[in-house]
Amino acid sequence: MLTVEDLNAGYDDSVVVHDVSLHVDDGEAVAVIGSNGAGKTTLLRTICGLLPARSGTVVYGDHALLGKPAHSVARLGVAFVPAERHLFPRMSVQENLELGAYPARPDQQQLERVFELFPRLKDRRRQQAGTMSGGEQQMLAVGRALMARPSLLVLDEPTTGLAPILAEEAYASLKVLRSEGTTVLVAEQQVPLALDLADRAYVIEDGRMQMDGQATDLVDHPDVRRAYLGIA
Amino acid sequence: MASTEVPLGAQQDADSAVVATQAPRWRAYLPVVATAVALAAIPLIIGDSRYYTDLATLALVFAAYAVGFNIIFGNTNQLFLCLGAFAGVGAYGTGALGNELGVPMPLGVLISVCVVAGFGAAFSWVSVRRRLDVIFVGIVTLTFSLVFINLLLGQRDVTGGETGMVLLYDPGPVGERGLVSYYIFLTVLIVFLTVYRWVQRSHIGWAFRALRDDEVAAELSGIDVARYKMIAGAMGSAMVALVGALYGHYEGFFSPTTFELGQVDVPVLVMLAFGGIGSLLGPVVGATVFTIVDAVLRPLAQLRTAVYGVILLVLFLGFRHGVVPSINDLARWVARRRSPGS
Amino acid sequence: MAVVLDGVAYGLQLALLAVGLTMIYGLGGVLNLAHGQFAVVTAIAAALLMDSGLPTLPAVIVGVLTGAVLALILDASIMRPVYRLQGENRVLLSLLITLGVAFVIDGLLIYNYPFTALNLNVAGPAINLLGVPMRRGSLAASLLALVALGVLIVFLRYTRRGKAVRSIIEDEEGAQLCGINPSRIRTAVFALSGGLAGVAAVAEGMTSSLSATDGLNLTILALIVTVVGGLGSVAGALLAGLLLGIVYSLATFYIGAYVTFIILLVTAMATILVRPSGLMGRGA
Repeated sequence: MLTVEDLNAGYDDSVVVHDVSLHVDDGEAVAVIGSNGAGKTTLLRTICGLLPARSGTVVYGDHALLGKPAHSVARLGVAFVPAERHLFPRMSVQENLELGAYPARPDQQQLERVFELFPRLKDRRRQQAGTMSGGEQQMLAVGRALMARPSLLVLDEPTTGLAPILAEEAYASLKVLRSEGTTVLVAEQQVPLALDLADRAYVIEDGRMQMDGQATDLVDHPDVRRAYLGIA
Repeated sequence: MASTEVPLGAQQDADSAVVATQAPRWRAYLPVVATAVALAAIPLIIGDSRYYTDLATLALVFAAYAVGFNIIFGNTNQLFLCLGAFAGVGAYGTGALGNELGVPMPLGVLISVCVVAGFGAAFSWVSVRRRLDVIFVGIVTLTFSLVFINLLLGQRDVTGGETGMVLLYDPGPVGERGLVSYYIFLTVLIVFLTVYRWVQRSHIGWAFRALRDDEVAAELSGIDVARYKMIAGAMGSAMVALVGALYGHYEGFFSPTTFELGQVDVPVLVMLAFGGIGSLLGPVVGATVFTIVDAVLRPLAQLRTAVYGVILLVLFLGFRHGVVPSINDLARWVARRRSPGS
Repeated sequence: MAVVLDGVAYGLQLALLAVGLTMIYGLGGVLNLAHGQFAVVTAIAAALLMDSGLPTLPAVIVGVLTGAVLALILDASIMRPVYRLQGENRVLLSLLITLGVAFVIDGLLIYNYPFTALNLNVAGPAINLLGVPMRRGSLAASLLALVALGVLIVFLRYTRRGKAVRSIIEDEEGAQLCGINPSRIRTAVFALSGGLAGVAAVAEGMTSSLSATDGLNLTILALIVTVVGGLGSVAGALLAGLLLGIVYSLATFYIGAYVTFIILLVTAMATILVRPSGLMGRGA
């Protein structure tokens, strides 16, 4: 469903992502793992229209994504949750969620689904987003992305700034979404959590794809274990 | 400070300052000398016409204003929108001291200029301490300008209010309309340009270029940004005040409208935009062109404002740095094409 | 007491004038120095229409629409290169470009219609409000300002489009990710600001008169109120407008015209220096 081919992207004069290719099929959960600065964020932001690409193609369904601005990509059904979340701090939880559905009228049913998934958000629905804790803000960011009923959910390091328990909770929610049929693409530094969720995964370092395969295979792969799982 | 050292910021500089820094002294001041000679010859071309002489003198006045503004805005990115007020303090200050207290004109000018330099330095200091962005500096100085105008209007007994101030004493040689005052203002302008060039080649100019490029980086590499901004603020505003005082005595009479935003700041901005912000001769080119255009368009009365608006738009939508640097760039490009090995 | 009420009335008008300017800054990071010109265009258009026989209400409405349309055209055309820049460069260029536009409009209007002025006299004796006699014109203007501001606030707080506008001010990237098109909304709000300036002109026309020469003064006034309230904050513009309006009224009453302006300006300067982000701005 999402096909990325030979993507080159970067900032100003530097190219950060070199000839990267990947694909995500409907219903899959795919992880992109790599260390800090490997190019994961650049890759995801380029796919979602926040960064222009140098060359390559990104196709989603029938649509070529490259060259489209971020809001157009969002309206095509690709919901992006960035690492910095980019919530609306002085608006309430409810308002943040409702805006996620823009331009459509907020669907009450979908809102209830989000509250089911993240009960803490329901308790704080009138609270200003900026006053919430890191974990709650992460939930809100994901919830907001879900309000548009996306066909592809893209997350950039959802565990950023979260304590281990909260990180696990976050991935537990992602698993629930996964089981309900949402397609997920997630970039992650915390490899064990990512490989636990994903069906397949790609390993990226220095802006290039190093290897890919079934998550279960990668977990056993000696290089992966050494580099990311701290196991000799 | 070794003059051969070129800091990183200056390498990306669009104006001729780098060339100026590295050139031998006589080459660097050549443009100033050439300008002096050219402008000194103008009265010979004009002949006896009082109208044209006055016009040329006016051009010199504005060119001098623009050099001062160039130091403040062109070199250290401080958008002082109170040039008119600075000039006004120069004129009204000297006038009031002379009229009321009998203070001799040179002393009056000195006092007023020092007061304005103080203001200029104060604005710079405050803007650094409060970390004000460019627009805020603009707004604060704009407010100051408005306060000044209102003070002038309010303090009728001293300033003459709306009707203006008349100088009750002999303004000296600068009040003699015609060639004498022309050459006085020309001398002032040439002195300003010389100072400007000297600053460009000195460690002060080096600091200016660094902080104009990236203030934070400059601060971190040990440059006392506040100090240099204050130097620029004081120097530029003192220049403007001096010209303002002299201009006031040249006319013998001035009113609040003489020194308001639309009469001083805006034309100076347009002139500098045309001539090239940050360049040495930009003020001269800009002032000359503007004065000629203004004179030609005079019959259009209010429509002139619209024309200036169009000029501003064309300038900023088109030439981003002004016309003079574009010519410099062109010259450099041509030179590079001629000697591919260099 | 009468003085304070007068101040509130004037303050509402100031707020109305400033609110459009502050929104444009909040949304697009641009400062529109042609803002006062939108008000003047509205005034001149309405005055001309009234002179040619059109009744007051339609003339005024067409006038306000003219202001809005002019703003729309401006944003969709000349401002495009400005939006291609970022941050400080964008603000500076917007200043210079809008100044150019302001001059063009100012020059054209003053040249062509030097004596046209908008005078909307509201006839009738003074009305008693809380025991204080207020001029009808002043009251009408305040009412108009209140209604306009009220509608704006309702729009921003409770409608989907309005919330989208606020979301862009809060976090532009976040808004994009929600499928909100920032540039289209920016253009719409630019047009809205033109319309609001037009309504402010109508209010001004009710209390005194407005002519072609008032353009730049209005812009400066709007700018000061905007900055004191905090660039980008609608609530700030309201608060600052009321504050400065009351200060103006008190000062004029107890002191005199020129000193009043000075006090107003010094108040503004002091606020900017003490709290550069404005009364309701975020962070110092």
